Amino acid sequence: MKKNQLKKYIMNLTPLFGLVVLFAAFLILGKIQDINISYGLKSIINQSVVVAVVATGAIFIYTLGSFDISLGASVAVSALIGGMVYNKTENILIMTAVCIGVAVLIGLFNSVLASVFNLPVFVTTIAMLSVLNALILVLIKVNGTGSEIAVPAAAVKGLNNTPFKVVVLLLFFLVSMFIFSFTKIGRMQKFQGGNPVCAKLSGIKEKKMAIIAFAMSGIGVGIGAFLSIIYAPTLTKNTASSVGMDVIIAIVFGGMPVSGGARSKIYAAVIGAFSMTLLSQIMVMFNLNSGIGQMVKAAIFILVVYLATSDQRGKMLPR
Amino acid sequence: MKKVIVEVKHMDKTFGSTVALNDVSIEVRRGEIQGLIGENGSGKSTVTSIISGMQKADRGEMFFRGEKWEPSSMLFALEKGIGMIVQENGTVPGITVAENIFLGETDQFKTFGIVNRKEMILKGQQALDAIGASHIDAAQMTGSLDMQDRKLIEIAKTMVKKPEVLVVDETTTALSQIGRDIIYKIMNQMKEENKAVIFISHDLDEIMQVCDSLTVLRDGKIIVTFDKEEFDEDRIKTSMIGREMQGDYYRSDYDGSYGSEVVMEMQDVNLADQLKNFNLQIHKGEILGIGGLSHCGMHTLGKVLFGACRPSSGKVSIRGRELKDEADAMREQVGYAAKDRDIESLCLNASIRDNIAIGGFNRFAIHNFLVLPGREKKYVQKQIDELSVKCAEMNQDVSALSGGNKQKVVFGKWIGRGSEILILDCPTRGVDIGVKQAMYQLMYQMKKEGKSIVIISEEMAELIGMADRLIVMKDGEIKKEFQRSESLSESDIIQYMI
Repeated sequence: MKKNQLKKYIMNLTPLFGLVVLFAAFLILGKIQDINISYGLKSIINQSVVVAVVATGAIFIYTLGSFDISLGASVAVSALIGGMVYNKTENILIMTAVCIGVAVLIGLFNSVLASVFNLPVFVTTIAMLSVLNALILVLIKVNGTGSEIAVPAAAVKGLNNTPFKVVVLLLFFLVSMFIFSFTKIGRMQKFQGGNPVCAKLSGIKEKKMAIIAFAMSGIGVGIGAFLSIIYAPTLTKNTASSVGMDVIIAIVFGGMPVSGGARSKIYAAVIGAFSMTLLSQIMVMFNLNSGIGQMVKAAIFILVVYLATSDQRGKMLPR
Repeated sequence: MKKVIVEVKHMDKTFGSTVALNDVSIEVRRGEIQGLIGENGSGKSTVTSIISGMQKADRGEMFFRGEKWEPSSMLFALEKGIGMIVQENGTVPGITVAENIFLGETDQFKTFGIVNRKEMILKGQQALDAIGASHIDAAQMTGSLDMQDRKLIEIAKTMVKKPEVLVVDETTTALSQIGRDIIYKIMNQMKEENKAVIFISHDLDEIMQVCDSLTVLRDGKIIVTFDKEEFDEDRIKTSMIGREMQGDYYRSDYDGSYGSEVVMEMQDVNLADQLKNFNLQIHKGEILGIGGLSHCGMHTLGKVLFGACRPSSGKVSIRGRELKDEADAMREQVGYAAKDRDIESLCLNASIRDNIAIGGFNRFAIHNFLVLPGREKKYVQKQIDELSVKCAEMNQDVSALSGGNKQKVVFGKWIGRGSEILILDCPTRGVDIGVKQAMYQLMYQMKKEGKSIVIISEEMAELIGMADRLIVMKDGEIKKEFQRSESLSESDIIQYMI
């Protein structure tokens, strides 16, 4: 195998290798500290799955070289409205559909707003973040007890198990991967992210691509909202509060180029989400308090971005 | 004997499995303009980029003014006296012209940590005036300027440092005659000041006229160096491609006939000062040449024909159907190769495969939607083979290709999808003679197959050599139309351009 190709493969596999190393470290430390590995793994999956699903959908936005800062708030609003609908209908399917529908509508609103005003999409998501945060408070105040909206725990208890969550994640991941890698849409998205000017002159419609990306992201957010409800049926203003930032970190952590484009990888979301949770868990095992843990995470985040972009920084102009 | 200012000894450089330079030794003398010529990928830009600190050699030594030369960066090299104007776009669009000229060096205008913008703009304007580019406003945003003016900014940026050695790497291909005259003046001035210039160009006439000596590279090796009195077009061409050129360069016939069916039409099209009441018909099986000075509106015409620019009034139609946008043009089997290849025609951080495949979903994707890797690879490989793209593999980044091979990828993208009408804006810019010949023959072949081609070009010779009908534009209007004729000469055309 040629040296450059080998380097490319190694660079591509680094995030996966990182996940394997973290997993091995978790198993070894678990053995040494004599903790219940099975319970620990379930906990890791529970913590990772929402971020993994939301991040998988968000990859479509990141591929375009854009980002959405309102994803966490969008999960919370979708979950709250879904919870309210369940309390009215007592139907899980309707609740799920509403979660997804609300999230897709928020995403579409973001992209259409950006189209109408001809703004970069991330600008509208910043405005949307404020709107959604306000909406969370209004929903809880008007429709809940004033501090929460609760879905009866018994109603979702049967779904709150690891295999179900893994299957949901797997299904969404496979559908996303199919669209991303095996359809014209996914290929056009990557090309658009790589060079919007050339993409336009190759017949790719920027607004259409943005709308599709936000719709896919919305589906991920909606499923994430549904999984959030079954994990913690009592919804408060803190529901999914860290998801927005976790998604950004997970995507980068998984090896997604920050500028999007042709090198975008759909699997970055899942690898990143699980790597991040494993890292947190390992730091807990080392009794690192959360302050130090955050600092270690930040340092690793910078290191990952540095390594991921080293190929570009060192690049010479072509012959 | 003139004194040697730069000396390169036994230089090697590889990129992965590609040998870019193989034991290259060159001497550059004071008071000379030294030409470097060779096919795309022959190593010209690699050796000059190493001299100017852009990258490092794997092996070999360099000397500048008799001392060992190991530049750590382009900025370092420029500070010490070797400046390079690259063939790629080297300006930042979102900042002013003056900020580009003094990029990374704004400290000199700082007082108590605050940049004196007024002074920077004044100095920037002086730098532009000094090279004869006074028409550019130093306070203007760079992104609003065209390719030629952006290139002139790069020249001003380099010349403000008063280099002793100037490397001009295929820069003139981006310039109109006015821009070329500016750069020739700078080069001659440097020669008179006993400094040195290394000049890379694919334009053999230009290089023979401008240079005092000429070094030919082929496949990363120095083949021969000619002194001015030894310049001979045929000998140079033969040493470049390693064999005598076979067959016709342009098409050999002077028939000039084409079909009667109008495949594309512009009616009373207006667009700012670029197109004024413009009427045009393109016929089936026609090669239509559009010539003029760089700002005559012909580049805008290409964009309007592809639906990338909406006219303010008037209509563009394809086979009677009004054109809406680029996607619409593609549905009607129109292809467009833009002048600014690296920005408008290619996604540089994507692979050759991505760049060719993006145009060909209608050919290899199932129901124009489902992309199966096997079918895609087969389609892309076919274009690579048919156009003889020199590459290690299809997943190689397109940015690693030479100018001519990049252009072949652009051709592959449009020809592969079965384009019936091709709009080619400066199709042979930065392309060596071997590839040029192949492209001209390909265009002629396409004409014979009944396809229509619009060649927009600043090179009169290629328009005369290829077009069935030639339109000369000036100030957004058609000034003259010529039919294909053996007697048509450049001077016949130029009088209507100026």
